[in-house]
Amino acid sequence: MHISVRCFAQLVTNQPENPEHFPVADGETVGRVMERLGLPETEVKLIFVNGVKAGTGTVLRDGDRLGLFPAVGGG
Amino acid sequence: MPVLSLEAGREIARLCGVAARDVDECALRQGVWPERHLRNHAACTVVEQLRLLTACAAVVGLGGLGGHVLELLARAGVGHIRACDGDRFEATNLNRQLLSTEDGLGGSKAEAARNRLARINSSVEADVRDVFLDEAGMRELLHGADLAVDCLGGLAQRKALQDAARDVGIPLVTAAMAGLTAFVATVLPGAAGPADFLGGAGQPSGEDILGTPPESVAVAAAFQGAECLRLLRGRTSALDGRMLVVDLRSMAFETLSLG
Repeated sequence: MHISVRCFAQLVTNQPENPEHFPVADGETVGRVMERLGLPETEVKLIFVNGVKAGTGTVLRDGDRLGLFPAVGGG
Repeated sequence: MPVLSLEAGREIARLCGVAARDVDECALRQGVWPERHLRNHAACTVVEQLRLLTACAAVVGLGGLGGHVLELLARAGVGHIRACDGDRFEATNLNRQLLSTEDGLGGSKAEAARNRLARINSSVEADVRDVFLDEAGMRELLHGADLAVDCLGGLAQRKALQDAARDVGIPLVTAAMAGLTAFVATVLPGAAGPADFLGGAGQPSGEDILGTPPESVAVAAAFQGAECLRLLRGRTSALDGRMLVVDLRSMAFETLSLG
């Protein structure tokens, strides 16, 4: 199955090459996807699955939209 | 639609020995539009325009976000504006900060804001303070205001401001950006907001890596200003418990739920 992945702001360097069609295994969690993308938990401040705040333990399903948001404070 | 011209309003204020804002308020109470607000009429009822005139917004930070937000609030007709920033202008501010000018480098951001407000809309009752506030000072600034506006730069003070707004019992409209990514969110008293999740000082933050380009600051401030005006007009929040995220790299907008 596949999900879409969006890495915001400075996390864009960790965005996969196939962000709209990123393969995940059955039962795979957000935390595991972050590991595969080389993103330590300290750098990801907010996780969204299908536009709603989620956690590293959230299990992903086919077609889910994963958003990863870092520390951003400029003004 | 009955209209009070700018000149007539000034003349009435002079003859009656009252402030320009009192004349504007009197006109709006009778359903008469002050000329300066005429182009607001389709976006805003006369009652909502009157609400703006009697409302008080407290803006913390007068840098990139604060300069633009202050401009929007004053031009829209918010009658009472409190603001604070103890900072001085530097050359690196010139790329994005509306209040910064080449001849104003080294000068006070608060003073520039005060002067700008007076030139844009003399009906605004402005209380602009040349000071960096701690949490107690923020509570004092926010006390009696209808709305807190987080225009701080960096993450260090944002949680303190969110807590101060909660303690005073008023909504907070917050915004931040890094590179071509920006967000805006509304935090109602006691609710969780971005400051609960994004961390504080002592960590790398996006703007240190990606900078603060002018278009991101302006777009964040425009959305922030729109949400502030919505609330001050007496409408319900569009971003309560949510973050509007703007990505100018792909021109994509998304509203994400924090609940």
